[in-house]
Amino acid sequence: MSAYKVDHKLDCKGLSCPMPIVKTRKAIQEILPGEVLEVEATDKGSLADIKSWAERTGHQYLGSTEEDGVLHHFLRKASEGEEQEEKKYPHVISLDEVKSRYKEAGVQLVDVREPMEYAFGHIPGAISIPMGEMGERFGELDSNREIWVICRSGSRSDHACQLLAEKGFPTVKNVVPGMKDWDGETETN
Amino acid sequence: MADKRVAIIAGNGALDDAYKILNIASAAAATDAEVSIFFTFEGLNIIHRQNHQHLQMGSGKEHFVQGFKRAHVPSIGEILEIARESGVQMIACQMTMDVMGLKKEELIDGVEVGGAATFLDFAYDADITLTF
Repeated sequence: MSAYKVDHKLDCKGLSCPMPIVKTRKAIQEILPGEVLEVEATDKGSLADIKSWAERTGHQYLGSTEEDGVLHHFLRKASEGEEQEEKKYPHVISLDEVKSRYKEAGVQLVDVREPMEYAFGHIPGAISIPMGEMGERFGELDSNREIWVICRSGSRSDHACQLLAEKGFPTVKNVVPGMKDWDGETETN
Repeated sequence: MADKRVAIIAGNGALDDAYKILNIASAAAATDAEVSIFFTFEGLNIIHRQNHQHLQMGSGKEHFVQGFKRAHVPSIGEILEIARESGVQMIACQMTMDVMGLKKEELIDGVEVGGAATFLDFAYDADITLTF
């Protein structure tokens, strides 16, 4: 997991229910939107608890790993209004269309979420360029092919589309809403 | 997202009752729910300054004691503190306090004293009501 960017760590090892979620809630209140919190716990029930806690509170559950009997849960703090789709960039494409066409040769699917979000599940073949790196890395993309940009909710990808259009890429589309509603195939790492 | 309300009636005061009540209450509060607990009859032991430190397992449940130790379960004092910090409202039943000759000073800090109507006022709009 060392490749993943974790902003804050919380040690809940040895604690039983409901302490892991009580502490997680406290910790997440103290961090900034978009930051990633890693919760270490030995309570097996925390796997299901953290997941449903995140769903209920609107924070993003990225995934969990287990090493030597310790569970590592990864959560990303949601920002206010993140769930609202922004559609400033006019050219959008629906998940249905993505699902039926993403394997076509003329398409480059670019996933602009953070590396950890990508690692825990992305559309097969999607290229990972986190939004924060797009300014330096757009040169990796082929301007002769269509570019479809995806994130979790359609907001970060909107910004990426605007940037790519500015850089002169002719066919750029924002996938809406994004991975949060994707029910097709995914691969990890 | 304080969109859920959980109303809990605590009418029993054995150690296992206390855990059921306080664990559910703090978990609900951690999930951004509004939580109110109405302590009545033996339930008042749980918020009694001294008694909450000496709660016993209910009869026939003594065998859980070792397991509780093994599982590093927080003490009732600790979990009361967590519940209070996370905004769980605790109401002590006035009528039972009178019957038992209990004074407000004998209860832990942060407890309100009220009648059934105080609790019902909250419970009428609750999404979940639990009785222990």
